[in-house]
Amino acid sequence: METIHTDVLVIGGGLAGLRAALAARKRGNSVLILSLVPPKRSHSAAAQGGMQASLGNTAKGAGDNEDVHFEDTVRGSDWGNDQEVARLFVHTAPKAVRELASWGVPWNRVQAGEREAIIDNRRVTLSEPEAAHGLITARDFGGTKKWRTCYVSDGTGHAMLYAISDQTIAEGIPVHERMEAVSLIHDGLRCYGAIVRNLIDGKLVAYIARATCIATGGFGRIYQSTTNAVINEGIGAAIALETGVVPLGNMEAVQFHPTAIFPAGILVTEGCRGDGGLLRDVDGHRFMPDYEPEKKELASRDVVSRRMEAHIRSGKGARNRFGEHLWLDITQLGALHIDHKLREVKEICHYFLGIDPARQWIPVRPAQHYSMGGIRTNAHGAAYGLSGLFACGEAACWDLHGFNRLGGNSVAETVVSGMIVGDAIADFCSSSGGDMHLSTALLRECADKVRAEFSAITDNHGPENPAALLGAMQAIMTDKVGIVRHGEQLAEAVRELTELEARSRQIGLRNHRPGANPELTLAWRLQKMLKLAICVAHGARQRTESRGAHFRTDFPRRNDAEWLKRTLAYWTDPAQLVPSLHYEALDVRHMELPPGWRGYGARDAIEHPETAHRMAQIETIRAQLATADRHAVQDALMPFRHLLPRHLCGDNARPGEST
Amino acid sequence: MIPLLRHGKPDGQPRRLTLEILRHNPADPASVPHLQAYEIEEAEGMTLFIALNEIRAQQDPSLMFDFVCRAGICGSCAMLVNGRPGLACRTLTRDLGERITLAPLPVFELIGDLSVNTGKWMRGTSERLQTWIHNDTETDLDAFETRMEPATAEAIYELDRCIECGCCIAGCGTVQMRERFVGAVGLNKIARFRLDPRDTRSDEDFYELIGDDDGVFGCMSLVGCHDVCPKQLPLQTQIAFLRRKMALQGMR
Amino acid sequence: MSSLIKTNASGELGLQAMPHPQTHGTAQTKPRKSRWPARLDVLQSATGLILAVFLMAHMFFVSTILISQQAFYTVARFFEGAYFFARPYPALVSCVVAVVIALFIGHAGLAMRKFPAGFRQFNAFCRHKNRFHHSDTSLWWIQAWTGFALFFMATIHLYDMLTQPALIGPFESADRVWSGNMWPLYLALLFAVELHGGIGLYRLAIKWGWLEGSDPQRSRRRLAIVRYSFSAFFVTLGLVTLLTYIDLGRAHADHAGERYIPPQSISSVDRR
Repeated sequence: METIHTDVLVIGGGLAGLRAALAARKRGNSVLILSLVPPKRSHSAAAQGGMQASLGNTAKGAGDNEDVHFEDTVRGSDWGNDQEVARLFVHTAPKAVRELASWGVPWNRVQAGEREAIIDNRRVTLSEPEAAHGLITARDFGGTKKWRTCYVSDGTGHAMLYAISDQTIAEGIPVHERMEAVSLIHDGLRCYGAIVRNLIDGKLVAYIARATCIATGGFGRIYQSTTNAVINEGIGAAIALETGVVPLGNMEAVQFHPTAIFPAGILVTEGCRGDGGLLRDVDGHRFMPDYEPEKKELASRDVVSRRMEAHIRSGKGARNRFGEHLWLDITQLGALHIDHKLREVKEICHYFLGIDPARQWIPVRPAQHYSMGGIRTNAHGAAYGLSGLFACGEAACWDLHGFNRLGGNSVAETVVSGMIVGDAIADFCSSSGGDMHLSTALLRECADKVRAEFSAITDNHGPENPAALLGAMQAIMTDKVGIVRHGEQLAEAVRELTELEARSRQIGLRNHRPGANPELTLAWRLQKMLKLAICVAHGARQRTESRGAHFRTDFPRRNDAEWLKRTLAYWTDPAQLVPSLHYEALDVRHMELPPGWRGYGARDAIEHPETAHRMAQIETIRAQLATADRHAVQDALMPFRHLLPRHLCGDNARPGEST
Repeated sequence: MIPLLRHGKPDGQPRRLTLEILRHNPADPASVPHLQAYEIEEAEGMTLFIALNEIRAQQDPSLMFDFVCRAGICGSCAMLVNGRPGLACRTLTRDLGERITLAPLPVFELIGDLSVNTGKWMRGTSERLQTWIHNDTETDLDAFETRMEPATAEAIYELDRCIECGCCIAGCGTVQMRERFVGAVGLNKIARFRLDPRDTRSDEDFYELIGDDDGVFGCMSLVGCHDVCPKQLPLQTQIAFLRRKMALQGMR
Repeated sequence: MSSLIKTNASGELGLQAMPHPQTHGTAQTKPRKSRWPARLDVLQSATGLILAVFLMAHMFFVSTILISQQAFYTVARFFEGAYFFARPYPALVSCVVAVVIALFIGHAGLAMRKFPAGFRQFNAFCRHKNRFHHSDTSLWWIQAWTGFALFFMATIHLYDMLTQPALIGPFESADRVWSGNMWPLYLALLFAVELHGGIGLYRLAIKWGWLEGSDPQRSRRRLAIVRYSFSAFFVTLGLVTLLTYIDLGRAHADHAGERYIPPQSISSVDRR
């Protein structure tokens, strides 16, 4: 077996992986990126609407700052996230946008003067200040108090991915494409790289690295109806889980996007609603204000998706030959706006639906969109359980998003976490922790284990067909572990998934094509995906409350008293049927924003006993520092800058704020 | 693949489609390129993405092809559909006849069946043309970003929309004969960075990259690139524009 | 596999050589790229354009036979400078022809660079053209073949004109066409040259972005119409002209070789 050495091995060539690789490279490490596909084809390119960063340049963003972004993010997460991480994030996001600007991302800019916009179904005239002309502008997104989503038409992810990918090429960072990490090389304490399968010739290669970073994105493909790309199968998270010592965090926290075109499941951006698009039912009635009088279509995604499903269940769904759906109406935005700011949406409608969104309504229904859960890491991106293993982006549970992610916070997270985690990786490599003693026996054992995994499939001549099992798993997940959940269905799902897992060991391949046999690849991945699916279903079944995107009809209230904690799923013994769940408490006593009402959605949470006390404490601190500036107040409430690399510590320039 | 889609046409029987796929596995010394026909029943709203996945799931699990986003934005699934380069994921079968021929993109290295290595080719192009912003000034991440005219930003995005799918290369008569030719994808990138005020390179620098017959002067203006570009990039006008600029540079 | 592992405790050893990070800014040490490709590209287009303009003019001059024999005679004598120098100098025509030959050879030489070099390239282009069914691609193939044919056909005609510049006149030309058996060549030449020129002019406009207007897509459609009309017009004009010469040549076959004498001259001879 070929062996390749590098300081840093980054698994995944999307935005997060590329940005982390750049950070580590700029600190002088040799870096190598593995990618299933050419990096510019990563799912990051599908992010359409934009990236949140509190620049506050546009008129409707005036008064925005890190504090507002922080509060929106925490409320959005339904208090399920890590507030320190949220602080790191909101503080660094403006820097990330500005860095990307210098790397060539053609962010849309503020045009001084008056312009027409649609807000809440009314045509209004906005006046942009002369002083902001030419600075980066922003659009409105769900769950935010200010217009904060920086964008490049509706190809934001594409523009970002190309700019960052070009930077890695400029830095000469090699990307080994069509390579899939199939197992981590580890001894239970330290990670030494990965065993990797070449998807062209099917050969195994050992990549030995002092630090390994998993940035493989989400696992949406365990669902039938998903906006995710076909490569989003969560294999990076699965190989971390299979070490037995690295936990996956909050796997039950799965986001459903309100507007996936029906039935293909292709995303149309939240920017449609941010720019003034409306949701309508079978009668053409705009129903969201009935449920959410304040935020209407622009409540957070979990809330809008849930309201949409409920509205369909109440018999108000439109129907076509594929089933029931609702309408997204952006006709009032006009052809000019759609041609310039929503052109990907226009193309998608044209090619997949044969309609013109400037004249016709778009059939939509919520579909799986994002995995808040993933490889549990600390604020530096270091995975729990294995030294030398890091994770960032959607693959990680850094825990910025808790139980619901705000639109525009994920592309922002990819680059921000890439910056921070990449730097932490460089720190690790230059510390004694980065030293490495790898035994050849260990390497041989790891390689043998992988070979055994593959030969167990190729040598088996069982009756099962991997494509059929995959379809069955996806159907179970969408039917029983979807937007609206119930204990009985979840229990059924767990049982059925464990049965599928057993059947996945009885696969008989129908072909033995030399090289990388796609059927073998599918069969191997299916076993990993089933484990992830079981983590999601089992975690959801055990969490007897509703929080963010995890909504249970049998436990409809958020229960801070018992469930203000993060699920950690371990798969310690390969023979166990379901993961062992552990829980990590979120400490109310140190929260900058203690649990409360989100400003939208239900208002019936069961309070945590410490909340009132912490509230009072915060009041006192605020009163004491009444004359201090907001940074000082924030620092007194919950310091975070000690977690940042020094070059990212500075305050952000913002119109109307002195720096 | 998506059982929801298995519906008959209201006005009668669904069509039987025959997909003739060019099969070849370079990893197998015994393999010779050949057309293999698969019959499937057409479904409502069926794309080639759905059709190919159905064939692989039900008829031939060894079939190789590439899809990633299946939404027409990542550029993975470009192939020759009845001889014409296009994105398979957003090609509806109802726009095609009952016999559909699929072949891998020419020019690029064949991985197997319909899968070609566009990534390697595109990375090579990026390295050769240095397709990144060249600017030596350090960016202060705490300070305001450099201002840019809104119209300039939109004009850059217009060219930045390239998805490196390889259709323009497969539709280029020049590159079929001369493999070193940069093709429209490369020239469009140069046009994009030339337009960007953040890139400090001058026409003299760009001439070094594309001022020869492997570059802009090699283009024979067959406009195949322009006509097949799935993103409708203005390749014809951009190449002509660069040609004028580089010719001027060449007169200096 | 184990024998390949060479990492030490610090993990600094890497078998994978790190590629050099590219420096921002372009390479300074490399010698400046040659300016010749730009010049040659412009020259190819310029010679083509001049030849095309010449062609159009040439066709108009030749077709004056449709007006009258006298008209063509006048045009022919005009180019011999008869109206400037009191008497015709056929050598002037030779000079013009020499310039055209130079342009022609230059253009052919430059254009040849784009031809398929070798069977592999030829084959690759053919395959591409046949599966693609793309009009501009197929048109180039026509252009390449007509260009190739012009090498031979135009050369013969040009050589004729270079060496026998005096033999341009209604009877002289008609005799060459019919009694000299040149009409098959001229017929083929006509199609080759008008197709080549029409497509060439269209491609020039696309190549340099002329006449793009506000909607280049629409402009290109219009240019294509102009291209068809151009070729059709000149082929028709050429055919009618050629037929006229054939007709004249057949009528004059018995006197082949006799030169045309304009009517005034005849009357003046008679009077004497």
